[in-house]
Amino acid sequence: MLNVYIWFYTGAFLVVIGSIGTAIGPGVKDPLIRTLNTEIPAIGVSLIFLTYNHTIALITFIAATAIISMILLRAIVRLEEMGAEL
Amino acid sequence: MSASVLVPSVVSPVVVSLYLPAVFTAILAALIGLLAISNQKNDLHTLILTDIVGISMLILVAAVGTDLAESLILPGLVVELAEIMAISEILMSREMRKLGKTVDLIPLPLSMNMEILETAPTFIAILLIAYGAFLTGFTGGAVAGGGILFYVLSKMSRGVPNNTWEGVAGVSGIAWCLWLVGFLVFFIAPSYWVLALFLAAFGVFIKVTFKAGLIGVMGREEFKREKE
Repeated sequence: MLNVYIWFYTGAFLVVIGSIGTAIGPGVKDPLIRTLNTEIPAIGVSLIFLTYNHTIALITFIAATAIISMILLRAIVRLEEMGAEL
Repeated sequence: MSASVLVPSVVSPVVVSLYLPAVFTAILAALIGLLAISNQKNDLHTLILTDIVGISMLILVAAVGTDLAESLILPGLVVELAEIMAISEILMSREMRKLGKTVDLIPLPLSMNMEILETAPTFIAILLIAYGAFLTGFTGGAVAGGGILFYVLSKMSRGVPNNTWEGVAGVSGIAWCLWLVGFLVFFIAPSYWVLALFLAAFGVFIKVTFKAGLIGVMGREEFKREKE
């Protein structure tokens, strides 16, 4: 039998590591890299939802994360085209 | 554990044993995000870090581990999405005003003037909306809304009819009323629960579907500016 705790603690580890990576990770002065780093805690949160059997929340979360990163990338590209300092 | 006094015996021991680790993880991740925000000068970086705080707070809700927690995560996600969308719009329009330059509504490196964008979006949108209507409820609304959004985005290079959005916003409001009437019927006439269930399910389906209308209303001013 698979141990439920493995998924939970992997998720928790990814959330904490990903948050640190987004906050002070290498190269986060570039907003593109910072946005890509936010995907790691998102995967961690997905694993935690999986542990609790929150199926619909998990599906909606995956869709929402994809849309959020699309919005952020659009903001970055538009601001860069405008020539604003990032 | 002292908290076990408050926990009913029907709650699974796994959920009870994971409660404290989950709460600590959420608070730790949120603190990291908030500390990074407090050191940040640039608004765009602050916006990206807000995302971290938002999703770590979802763990706090999920830690309860019941159906109620699951149903509370969904509005949390939608609110976070709307918040990030609104703040990014504000940021961009402020920079535009400051620098006096305009850029495309959706920056694409290619010119999207292809034959497939004439025919395929209609078919895929109809497919997604039909599947969403079959699912009903929140999930169906999300699927059908994705269909409408896809249709709008792929037709955008050709111009979207502006006054359609007024109608979409109106239908969205009526659907919201259907949803409320459905809930009222549950309490006033419980024997008609099937009717109430369907009113609520289809009301929330149409409501969530036409959330795409929000994006349309938001972009309307910019569509007008581009097409004239």
